[in-house]
Amino acid sequence: MDDDKNTKVFEKLTQAVITGDCAMAEEGANDVLNKGIPPYDAVINGLAEGMKVVGEKYEKKEYFLPEMLLSADAMYAGLNILTPHIKSEDKQKGKVILGVVEGDIHDIGKNIVKTMLTVAGYEVIDLGKDVPVAEFIEKAKSEGAKVIAMSTLMTPTLMSMKAVEEKLKDERLKGKVKTIIGGSAVSETWRANIGSDAFGADAMEAVDKIKALVSSITAAAEALKQEEKKTTDEK
Amino acid sequence: MADSASYDRVMNTLGKKRHRVDKFPCINSVSVATVDFMKSYDAYWPAAHKDPVKMAKLASSAHRKCGLDNVSLPFCMTVEAEVFGAPVNFFEDSVKWPSVKKFIAKEVSDLHFPKDLPSAGRIPVITKAIEILKKEFDGIVPVNAYIVPPFTSLSSYLVETMDFLKWLIRSPERAEEFLTNTWRTYSEIAQIYSEAGADTITFHEMGASTDNISPRQFDTFVRPYLAKIIGEVNCPTILNVCGSANLIVENMIRCGSDAVALGERSPIKEAREIAENSKQGYTIIGNVSSYEVLHKGPTTRIQEEVKKTIDAGVSIVAPGCDFWLETPTEHITAFVEAVHQQEL
Repeated sequence: MDDDKNTKVFEKLTQAVITGDCAMAEEGANDVLNKGIPPYDAVINGLAEGMKVVGEKYEKKEYFLPEMLLSADAMYAGLNILTPHIKSEDKQKGKVILGVVEGDIHDIGKNIVKTMLTVAGYEVIDLGKDVPVAEFIEKAKSEGAKVIAMSTLMTPTLMSMKAVEEKLKDERLKGKVKTIIGGSAVSETWRANIGSDAFGADAMEAVDKIKALVSSITAAAEALKQEEKKTTDEK
Repeated sequence: MADSASYDRVMNTLGKKRHRVDKFPCINSVSVATVDFMKSYDAYWPAAHKDPVKMAKLASSAHRKCGLDNVSLPFCMTVEAEVFGAPVNFFEDSVKWPSVKKFIAKEVSDLHFPKDLPSAGRIPVITKAIEILKKEFDGIVPVNAYIVPPFTSLSSYLVETMDFLKWLIRSPERAEEFLTNTWRTYSEIAQIYSEAGADTITFHEMGASTDNISPRQFDTFVRPYLAKIIGEVNCPTILNVCGSANLIVENMIRCGSDAVALGERSPIKEAREIAENSKQGYTIIGNVSSYEVLHKGPTTRIQEEVKKTIDAGVSIVAPGCDFWLETPTEHITAFVEAVHQQEL
């Protein structure tokens, strides 16, 4: 009975995102709160499910950027109502520094990635667009973030990504802070060329790759801890 | 050198009257600027954006040094946006693509319509550079000028891109109001270049690929305005969309340009099949990757890719988009040579 009721609300949220209907998303989110459905479940099974469908439609060339942007708006309309009610343990998967690189003010892709990351439970520090090289690194340091995600739509500004990689090396942070790049000008080849840790072909893939980066960092930290423990035990 | 080979090769493939040519033409209808060329001719950015002599030198360097079959200018996506009042960052003392500092327009009334268009923004610099090139290359090498047409210019450089794209669905009348009120200015810019001596005009419509908008949105918000502008320009025209465009090849052809130029995201074989169904023998320009092939090389790869591109069915070989700024000059030389060596 409960499951049935929940499913209906989730479906409403999913449909709201697919059709880019903000009012419907708000209504669905309020239903979630009124009926005492766990909001995190509603985000994952309702809003994120809708965004997944939208991503697939974009892949299949049924949806294009305008449709995708309206869907993202609907998703935010729902998220804004639900996020304050989500328990913090559901949110804290890790911090991600996100921004559009210097020289580019096109932030569509970045905003979609931000939405998906937020839904997936990451804390996103959004630096906005036209972000200077040093700011990515300064923020990662001051926030203690382990992932920097950079985007650009334009080929001319690809060099700014390379500059961030070089500065990370200069500051001996390479490997400690992982990077992921994306945006329509970016490719796997460019990632390999500049030595970034990951490339996300679209927002869905970006989130998956960031998950992998975060767990690799956590695993490395665990291993280090084990190693230290072993050394202490041996002593 | 008063050899008209380059001019004939390009114009006979592009113009209304087709004649047999001696070799495959090799051109670039958008930016030919590279750092190597800036060094060779002391025509560095940002000076070469504002000084017509330097602009003409940089525009012709790929022809002079590598034998490219055209000269092309300017090297910037923000010329038209600047005319409408957008503040442009030229990155003084560094070689970076100019960009707009912010999106200035929420309403049409936020745009600045210049009273004297020929002297607005960088139009006089570009006009003067065209005149310099025309004087030297008239009938020898075709002079190409490119403009960023209404859809791409408005949606990427004047109005917040997210807003503009959402309007296409939610408030199409707002997008249409911008397009209807501005297309004439873009058309006039194209005519100013053509009257100054440009042999070809290219429309650099990179924002209208299907990476961004749907074929139906292309037909509603791009094609009508391009068709009007192309109808008013008196020289051969090229419509360039460097993102994914195979879903809109037919829609592009219907804009009325003399050729379409495609990037590497649009496989030529398929584009050629589509073109043959709507306009037999239509001129397709493309699409050797500027970064993956021309920038990275090596020469053997460039030769292979040129052959593949010609076999797939292009009429004129060109890079998929602007030259990558760090492209080594010897790669461009190898590119042009490889094209000219192909059997017709």
